[in-house]
Amino acid sequence: MAKQTKTLSARRSLWKEILRNKYIYLILLPGLIYYIIFAYGPMYGLTIAFKDYNVREGILGSPWNGIDNFVRIFRDYEFYLALKNTLIISFSRILFQFPVPIILALLLNELKEGIYKKTLQTVLTFPNFLSWVVVSSILINLLSNGGAINNLLNLMGFPRQDFLANSQIFRPLLYITDIWKSAGWGSIIYLAAISAISPDLYEAATIDGAGKFQKMISITWPSIRPTVVVMLILSVGGVMNAGFDQIFNMENPAVRPVSDILDTYIYRITFNTGTDFGFSTGVGLFKSLINFILLVTFDKISRIISGHTNGIF
Amino acid sequence: MSSLKNTIAFKTSKSHVRKKWDLSYFVITLILTLFGIAVFYPFYNAVLISLVTSKEYIQTPFMLFPKHITLDAYRYLFEDGSIFWGYRSTLTIVLFGVPYNLLLTSMVAYAMSRPAFPGKKFFNAMIILTMYFSGGIIPTYLLMRSLSLLNSLASVILVYGVNTYNMIIMRNFFRSIPAAIEESARIDGANDLVILFRIVLPLSKPIMATMLLFFTVDRWNEWFNAMVFLRDNNQWPLQLVLRSIVNQPMIDFSVTTSALKNAVFSDGVKMAAVVVTMLPVMLVYPFVQKHFMKGIMLGGVKA
Repeated sequence: MAKQTKTLSARRSLWKEILRNKYIYLILLPGLIYYIIFAYGPMYGLTIAFKDYNVREGILGSPWNGIDNFVRIFRDYEFYLALKNTLIISFSRILFQFPVPIILALLLNELKEGIYKKTLQTVLTFPNFLSWVVVSSILINLLSNGGAINNLLNLMGFPRQDFLANSQIFRPLLYITDIWKSAGWGSIIYLAAISAISPDLYEAATIDGAGKFQKMISITWPSIRPTVVVMLILSVGGVMNAGFDQIFNMENPAVRPVSDILDTYIYRITFNTGTDFGFSTGVGLFKSLINFILLVTFDKISRIISGHTNGIF
Repeated sequence: MSSLKNTIAFKTSKSHVRKKWDLSYFVITLILTLFGIAVFYPFYNAVLISLVTSKEYIQTPFMLFPKHITLDAYRYLFEDGSIFWGYRSTLTIVLFGVPYNLLLTSMVAYAMSRPAFPGKKFFNAMIILTMYFSGGIIPTYLLMRSLSLLNSLASVILVYGVNTYNMIIMRNFFRSIPAAIEESARIDGANDLVILFRIVLPLSKPIMATMLLFFTVDRWNEWFNAMVFLRDNNQWPLQLVLRSIVNQPMIDFSVTTSALKNAVFSDGVKMAAVVVTMLPVMLVYPFVQKHFMKGIMLGGVKA
């Protein structure tokens, strides 16, 4: 009896709390509707990965077919190729691209404050705000068979080279052009960490007779190391995303064996070559699941390492 | 007091940077300058290619100063007209999309910045989960089809509403606003709606400016959702129009007036399309760069 009145009063006070916060719910509502329709709606649509989807019967009406789609996916040669390329390209990016913004930040930090440094930063960060459609248009103009570099080779009497159709150099081109586009902006996060370092440390080091590189190694680097670790964890957590925008805009059939990643593969089998939505949604679900597991795992790791409770997001 | 501190900090940082002429400073400046040129020059050359004649481009593919400037490539591009359709779509997306992004994201951020209310933990988990897991492109496409939004710009506008990363940055900013200000408003009878729109948002102008820029860039660069949802190419935004122009192996000039036909060349028109697409970003960026950087400083790690 006493227990009952207790729950009753608890319920009453819960209602009171909800009523007291009614305007907060009202403010939250449009955003919630957005998330339910456009984030959770598609998640429900993932059920067609386990269905024999056909347009006429829709998501609900199409018959279930268990794991048939996945059986076919795991027998598909192109799927393995795309998975392999995704991992190779992602890890190569971490190896070759990840250090560049850090080095750039360390170098930029040595530059005197002034109009020159500011201009340089504007130039280096600008391409980040252009789409890959624009950037690859410029790059294709430079590198293609009839492009500027080949016109120059031709003028100098050398044979033309089709750089973009050469599967030997296509992947390195991806890394170089992504550095070209994003390293400048990527350095800003490290510069922010550097700017938080107390000038007293440098002053003390100077009095102790430390040189520029000694200071860089024993003051600047240790101060930005936590940021580096978090960024590295984020990169490893995101290896399933190997850069759709860039690859989709730069690739061509000649380099597909080395350039096709899961995202380009999903796009192609869905919208260009076929309409087997159950199959391609299965590939997408596979990718999302691995991605989810990696993110959660590396989020935990980053919490442990940084000692923070708020993880990577 | 704080200005005194600043001058001291300024002096010390200056003295540690450099004394007179030193080799390592020179090398660092050189490396950075070369990188800067490597980033800048392709844009510069693209602009020049759009402005010269075919003959000059063939003779000097890499230019510093053009000998003859002609606007023929632009004349051709505008005569073709598809770029105008692109502009119309992109401006529509920006005009409706950015306020939609800002309104939804700041409202969610405000609610999530409030102290505990029943269900907050659940809503928070529900929102954060979307950063780790998403339905992907095919279910989203099918959703658009069942909402009858395919081939409508509304699909592109609506599908990108709350940006959860930006929401977190905003939420953290809202939390930093002193509670006393809101409390005195509440005593005067203001509810959360009034507090959000009359007090919190006006106090958050710096973060709102940064968010406005981030969302505008996202919307300006919109192409993927448009490619999937809009099969009808006279609805395409600028970026997709550019993509279709650049992907033509050779532009067919047979439809043009004969005067232009002889003067324009494929690469010139393509680069003119590139310039027309990136010009607004190029012109505005130097002046608003610091606001973008503020976004990074406020957000900490934001990929």
